[in-house]
Amino acid sequence: MSSSLKLLAEIRQSSERRPFEVLKLSEPLLNKGSISQAGDDVWLVYEQVFIAAIDEGEIDVAKAVLEILHKRFGGSQRVKRLYGMINEAVGYPDEAKKLYDEMLEKDATNVLASKRLIALLKSQGQYSIAIQELVSYLDTHGNDFEAWLELAHLYLANHLYAQAAFCLEEVILQQPANHYFHLCYAEVNYTMGCLDIALKEYLRVVELSTDNVRGFYGIKLAADRILDITSHGAGKSRDSSHFKVENAPQKATLERLSQLATERLVAIYSGTNDATKKTVEAWLKL
Amino acid sequence: MIEYTVSLQAYAKAILHCAKYPWATVHGLFLAEKKDGKIRFVDALPLAHNWTSLTPMFDVALQQAQLYAKTKGLAVCGYYVANEDTGATQLSAAGSLLAKTLIAVDDSTVAFVVDAKKLAPESTRAALVPYVYSESQWKEQSGAFSDTKGSSGTKGAAFVLENNRVLVATRKLIDERAEVGVHDFDEHVDDVSLDWLQNTTISERIKTA
Repeated sequence: MSSSLKLLAEIRQSSERRPFEVLKLSEPLLNKGSISQAGDDVWLVYEQVFIAAIDEGEIDVAKAVLEILHKRFGGSQRVKRLYGMINEAVGYPDEAKKLYDEMLEKDATNVLASKRLIALLKSQGQYSIAIQELVSYLDTHGNDFEAWLELAHLYLANHLYAQAAFCLEEVILQQPANHYFHLCYAEVNYTMGCLDIALKEYLRVVELSTDNVRGFYGIKLAADRILDITSHGAGKSRDSSHFKVENAPQKATLERLSQLATERLVAIYSGTNDATKKTVEAWLKL
Repeated sequence: MIEYTVSLQAYAKAILHCAKYPWATVHGLFLAEKKDGKIRFVDALPLAHNWTSLTPMFDVALQQAQLYAKTKGLAVCGYYVANEDTGATQLSAAGSLLAKTLIAVDDSTVAFVVDAKKLAPESTRAALVPYVYSESQWKEQSGAFSDTKGSSGTKGAAFVLENNRVLVATRKLIDERAEVGVHDFDEHVDDVSLDWLQNTTISERIKTA
């Protein structure tokens, strides 16, 4: 297998969005016909190129590839979705929606069609309908943590932080060892003013990963703010925080956590350039 | 009337930052030089493209930006955001709140929303829609960046690009895919060697574009 095909397979498996590279790698393969060396994977490569072309606005490439897929698979539902996507890309959302609705009529549990439909609603700014659709999708596909994550995003766009936090709890239940989700959960809680939970989750982040800069920044922020609020008395706090002081750690513990975060940040930044280092040191009030 | 000028360095860096993450809401800050009642945005500090409605990392980045700006004799008084939905040029509720935290420090702060439609090759206008804070809300300044220099918006502010090279040079950088060289605070916290404050490599490239 050629090295381009190998790279394409890697991008596919990691589901990274690198459309420009995908098109660049695939162009010679399509022109010379050596794409067939992919064997059974050739159709996956075509689909990958199609989606990259849509991302890059290369509608002609997308159409050419879709033609090939259509010839091979005819009325397949998976190909039908691609027709929907091309309609979305060229500005016919209603046509696209019709195709997705047809797919769902045939099979209400069609995951790809449901997701496209929700993405389409979102792109049209119809957030509340998109949320409704996604909630009912999750009724049947509750173990799809990426869908929970997307629902969290939709709630956040509407300032429904508590709902977003709930979605992230579902994600964490399914992916407890992934520090990234704890990070998101911490930041949503911090934004809501639940500083005690935010601090706990930031600590989980640095426990699950090595020298996580975001995590240490978060610990520093949350610990310092709790200290600030408790030292001024709960009544006088300038922000309406939603946490109970008795749930937060003791003052001495908070001070030690803040100190620990400072030390780790200094160590992590020791190798960076002067401007960066000086700024961070000034921020840490060193 | 305050006159705001946007330099090539500020404009191109902000637009390239948005071009790097076309599928996400992207936001950042503008650094300005203030002289004789005029405000000149001389640089952009790209902030984030993930979870752009949450506050903790925005707070950290903003505070660091203000410390960095101080050492350069500059002010942090511009906020830019490109909405995930490229058709939307309204300042979102989250964007309004974040930009308001800049107002608390500097009341000449302007919030800009990137208008993706004006990034088309044939466009001759700046792809920024300015919002000025007055009477406790952000108000869109229609007619900003019109062709005639110094033409004012609806209320007491005028917006111009520093020269007619800004759009051409930015266009060229986008065509060359220069956006991969821009690093924001989000990337920086994953790898602290990526310099979101100075962005030296891309800054040099913009200068010579």
